[in-house]
Amino acid sequence: MASPQQAPRDEDEEARLDAIFHALANRTRRAMLRQLAKGPAMVTELAAPFDMSLPSASKNLKVLEKAGLIDRTVSGRVHRCALDPESLRDADAWLEFYRGFWSGSLDSLARFVAEEDNPDDQKRSKQHRSKTK
Amino acid sequence: MSTKPQPDSQEPGTLALLIRRRIAATPERLFEAWTTPEQFVQWWGPPGVECPGAEMDLRVGGAYRIGNRMPDGNAVWIGGTFERIAPPSELVFSWKMEHVEAPAERVTVRFERSGAETDVVVFHERLANEAAREQHEAGWAGCLDGLVAFLET
Repeated sequence: MASPQQAPRDEDEEARLDAIFHALANRTRRAMLRQLAKGPAMVTELAAPFDMSLPSASKNLKVLEKAGLIDRTVSGRVHRCALDPESLRDADAWLEFYRGFWSGSLDSLARFVAEEDNPDDQKRSKQHRSKTK
Repeated sequence: MSTKPQPDSQEPGTLALLIRRRIAATPERLFEAWTTPEQFVQWWGPPGVECPGAEMDLRVGGAYRIGNRMPDGNAVWIGGTFERIAPPSELVFSWKMEHVEAPAERVTVRFERSGAETDVVVFHERLANEAAREQHEAGWAGCLDGLVAFLET
């Protein structure tokens, strides 16, 4: 194996990655993104499913906006949020496809290391997986 | 400046996806399973997708290729280059379907220690609508039905 090394990465890039990870590491914000993958929505529509106040919804949307994941347009008092319109049509199916692909792959990885390293723990590991699913 | 034409196919996509899974192993063990081709081929892919081969030149700028044999028998190869290698905690690589004209996507894998276990976090970004259409045409579509069935069970 070649010796691994660390690539320098500029500060902007690091900050951008931090912002995106922070934005996505929250269940409500991921759900908002999934809804926006189906089409643009108003802030009130995005807040409704979560039984959340408008300021709180707005705060979450600001985090998504700052990470560059959504665009927000203001027309009078109406705030409208959208993912890139070009990406809307197949986006939901595409995200769902990759979600399944990665989810399935990580399950396989868990199984692989459990079977190889702890043959006796297979049963426990399986129970743990089904519990967390 | 805003009038400057930009070819659509060169624009990176804006969609991103985060998947997190807690696995009972150390980051070191998982990093090894991910970066050693002989081990990688044994686990890569969800049920129904086989990995017929994997090549990795594990250094920054080094290339990798991963085979994916779909449930319908078609093989799709994914390739790219490593952008960051920080064992045992992070791996960043570009992600592109071979024979597909679309901007490259990017995958960041983080192995975050949590007691005796590890949170594996996969962040797949720059996913684009255009890429989705072409990649479906390239053979992923056949896989989708199987995955939906898998997710629903």
